[in-house]
Amino acid sequence: MRKTISLFLLLLPLIVSAQQTASLSGYITDTQTGETLIAANVALQGTRAGTTTNTSGYFNLQHIEAGTYTLLVTYIGYRQYKKEITLEENENRRLVIELIPKEYQLEEVVVQSDREQEEQRSIGTAQIETEFIRTVPSVFQADIFRSLQLLPGIKAASDFSSGLYIRGGSPDQTLILLDHTTVYNPSHFFGFFSTFNPDAVKDVRLYKGGYPAKYGGRLGSVLTIFNRDGNRNEFEGSVTLGMLASRASVEGPINKGSWIFSIRRSTLEPLLEILRKSQDNIPDHFSFLDVNGKINYDINADNKLSMALYAGNDNLRFPFAEDAGVRLHYGNQTFSGTWTHIFSEKIFSNFTVTGSRYFNFPSFNISGTPFKRSNNIYDFSAKGDVEYFRNDRHEFSAGFWAGLLTLKLHDKFDGDQTFSSRTHTPYGSFYLQDKWHITDRLTVTPGLRINGFSEGRYLRVGPRFSLEYRPSAGIRLQGAYGRYHQFLTVDSNEAFTGFDVWLTADEGVSPSAGNQYIVGIKTSPWKDYAVDTELYFRTMEDLFDPDPFLQDQAGLPYEKTFRFGKGYAFGTEILLERQAGRLTGFAGYTFGVTRRKFPGFNEPVEGGTARYYPPKYDRIHDLNVVLSYDLSSRWSVSAAFNYATGQAYTKPLGRTAAFNFPTSATSKQQLTVGKVNASRLPDYNRLDLSFSRDGTFWGFGEALWQFQLVNVYSRRNTWFYNYDLDENPAEREAVQLLPILPTISYTLNF
Amino acid sequence: MNRILLFVIGVTVLAGCEFYEQDEYREYYVVEAYLVAYDPLPDIILSKTVPIEEEYVYSDASVNDASVEVRLLNADSTINERYTYGSGGEGLYYPTESAAVQEKQLYQLYVTLPGGDSIEAKTYVPGDFETVNRQELPDQYRYRGDKQIEITTTRSEYHTGRQAYYVFTVNAEKPDSTNLTPFYADLVGEQERSLQNYSVHSSGIINEGNYSPTPEGNITLKVPWLSIAFYGHNEVVTNAIDDNMYDFLRSQETQTGGFSLSPGEIQNIRYNINGGIGIFGSMARDKNRFEVLRPPR
Repeated sequence: MRKTISLFLLLLPLIVSAQQTASLSGYITDTQTGETLIAANVALQGTRAGTTTNTSGYFNLQHIEAGTYTLLVTYIGYRQYKKEITLEENENRRLVIELIPKEYQLEEVVVQSDREQEEQRSIGTAQIETEFIRTVPSVFQADIFRSLQLLPGIKAASDFSSGLYIRGGSPDQTLILLDHTTVYNPSHFFGFFSTFNPDAVKDVRLYKGGYPAKYGGRLGSVLTIFNRDGNRNEFEGSVTLGMLASRASVEGPINKGSWIFSIRRSTLEPLLEILRKSQDNIPDHFSFLDVNGKINYDINADNKLSMALYAGNDNLRFPFAEDAGVRLHYGNQTFSGTWTHIFSEKIFSNFTVTGSRYFNFPSFNISGTPFKRSNNIYDFSAKGDVEYFRNDRHEFSAGFWAGLLTLKLHDKFDGDQTFSSRTHTPYGSFYLQDKWHITDRLTVTPGLRINGFSEGRYLRVGPRFSLEYRPSAGIRLQGAYGRYHQFLTVDSNEAFTGFDVWLTADEGVSPSAGNQYIVGIKTSPWKDYAVDTELYFRTMEDLFDPDPFLQDQAGLPYEKTFRFGKGYAFGTEILLERQAGRLTGFAGYTFGVTRRKFPGFNEPVEGGTARYYPPKYDRIHDLNVVLSYDLSSRWSVSAAFNYATGQAYTKPLGRTAAFNFPTSATSKQQLTVGKVNASRLPDYNRLDLSFSRDGTFWGFGEALWQFQLVNVYSRRNTWFYNYDLDENPAEREAVQLLPILPTISYTLNF
Repeated sequence: MNRILLFVIGVTVLAGCEFYEQDEYREYYVVEAYLVAYDPLPDIILSKTVPIEEEYVYSDASVNDASVEVRLLNADSTINERYTYGSGGEGLYYPTESAAVQEKQLYQLYVTLPGGDSIEAKTYVPGDFETVNRQELPDQYRYRGDKQIEITTTRSEYHTGRQAYYVFTVNAEKPDSTNLTPFYADLVGEQERSLQNYSVHSSGIINEGNYSPTPEGNITLKVPWLSIAFYGHNEVVTNAIDDNMYDFLRSQETQTGGFSLSPGEIQNIRYNINGGIGIFGSMARDKNRFEVLRPPR
């Protein structure tokens, strides 16, 4: 029945006749660099006609009555664009509108239109500016994921993890796309940082839940990151020297296009050298490197080409004891080539080929016994997205994504191959969506996504639906529903992501599925203030995780290597934001609950059925306050404060031991526990500060000093408890998170 | 508008109450026994758990007034033979008559506790196996020399037809700190680990599926140098374990370490015991003795 309704909603607009009038379309760009601007707001003043630019910076307004209008274009951090235009009957006007960045405007306050942040405030959506990433206090260096962790609904597993735990989902439930390409392990230093270089990034958008039919393949969320295209007008560059890593970026124009190249490398070697003189167990080598490149070429007004590359890796060489050492080399490589084609004034399209590789090669050699793993994922795909602006009521979009996924895992122990698997599976999906403005106040967006996965021969249909009603100018009531499927899972650990192994659904291992229900209210109660609230409920079915009790999977049927379960999550997010003025920032509060259930886990000792339990990262209350204040034209200060309920942990209740275990000289300690993760660590709180000073470098270019204090009052938050059973009675030791950390960085733009 | 906000806040406060409460400590009876194919019936230890905050004193935790019986079962689970146990004090129970454990047989432990409750568990003893190439193997190996100890054994059978699960154990005959191999010398000397940890030194669980069978259906097990903690004479034991030991070992090792669960998440061990906890396991094993010589200086 539900599918029938969805299909009806999709097809109904086709029978609605359209009146031929004028149209307005084009690109919104930065006047200084020529970069296209994503999610910029375009409106005709005094009318209901308005839209936002898509991920190519393109907008389209259809069905405009002939006449004279005032065109308004706004974008965060840019001066408002306002121009009178006259449209003739049947005219299809195409424009390239250049916005002036905030620092070049005379006024101190950014003027914003009523449609400001339309896209950013869509249901389940969050967007962060790259400027925010660069200025918000962060551990050692600016980091996209750690900046995202400040937003409501997104939690960090610990100070040591940049993993995104969104609305009760684990990191593998978030699809991460860099320039349309899937990135499988976006981390450096085993999860401490994300792989994305903030210098290279243009747009970061997170669909926390209820994401549209355009995306699929993950149960929870989608994070899209677009790298910058490069400056189309002049050559420029920047260099940032930091304590942990330094980075450089250069960009410039080419004939009808632009290019950009960014590089970032850790600079830990001097610190390791100093530590090595006074401490044992310091790695011989520990580094990461990443490079980003992009080149764009406009063939003509209707055709654009873009090629993007990313490569990053981490290297560790660590002799952790006499005659024992570990090496780890892991990283990602991505490639994408995009053809942007405008078929007509009403049809816009993107076609992309993508390539993504994730690899890790850990090896141990202990007492002359080597262990080596070779783990590779290759994902090659082609995708296309077509947007059809039928009239001012309907924005259709449709697309496909087809690819070939190869996972290769080989283990060698003591010179002999002990495990070898190769999964080679085609996959594909197709979607259809209509953004239907039923009335000026009511918009619905029905959609349908069909996913196919060759391994196990699975075909899944995922309906999507969202609705927005505006009872008044300052209030938006929103709702969304979607069914989502996931064909992959990851064998990972929140404390260490360097060994991640991705696994697929297969015969006997059904893909995971889940429903999401979201309602929200977005308000603008006062000028420059926004208050957003969302409530969500998610189900998770057929979760398949690697069995944590399995030590060796050799010789076992594939389905026996997993545990299967289900889960749910619900919560509320409230965001209060001040968007303009010398003091800007937000306060975000999240109430969230997430639970999992796996047969054989969290069962009473005396027998019974499995019970739902919270994963470690479950936090009931989470409050983030992020403020930025311009002290003067040169100095600014930012502060980020986080208060959260302590994470879940399992308190052991009793102990005993197996005293004569035949394969051990010592007793095998046993703990008895009640409900798993039914206790809470002490509440978490932390304040970070960042001071920035703008200046110049001997007239050579603009410079920025940043001084940061992470964990200002050095609260030793607890990561987890370790129980020392060699002591009698057992002793509990709190393993602590980061202490106070001062960092300094210097950036030069030339 | 205000009403909506009040509703949201109200729902949030209500839902913020924690309904998933921590349990109170509960005491469990603990059994411990290991049957080894063709060895005499083992002693059985019976005790109780102790709250985590309290000192564990075995003599206080031991249970002495229980009635203990081991039964050899038929394939249909009817009782073939009963072996009664006597109390030796301190929670130790010993078989009152000598009998050897039979391979590929199902045994049952039945304990009647002083209060009338009972504990029951079953184990199927894995099929015995033997080394077929011992005559071809030298008695001495040079540590990290060209040749490694490679034992070829017959297969161990299990009643469910599953593959064999192995644990390799190396028992050092002279576990003296002067005999430690370099890696373990570092662990004991520099990292202050107990020497005792390595005198009986075992691998994790290794599935039979790791090995390619020979044309005769045997498997060849290579002893890694990593398992040699001491120079000198070592007894290399190949253990094929039953389902109870398999479940106990893999869940116990996850409980006390490892990376497969988030830090701080502790799951109960899989005991396969009714009315209590502990281990009633069985195994078949084969032993070979070698001397590991120091490498030339």
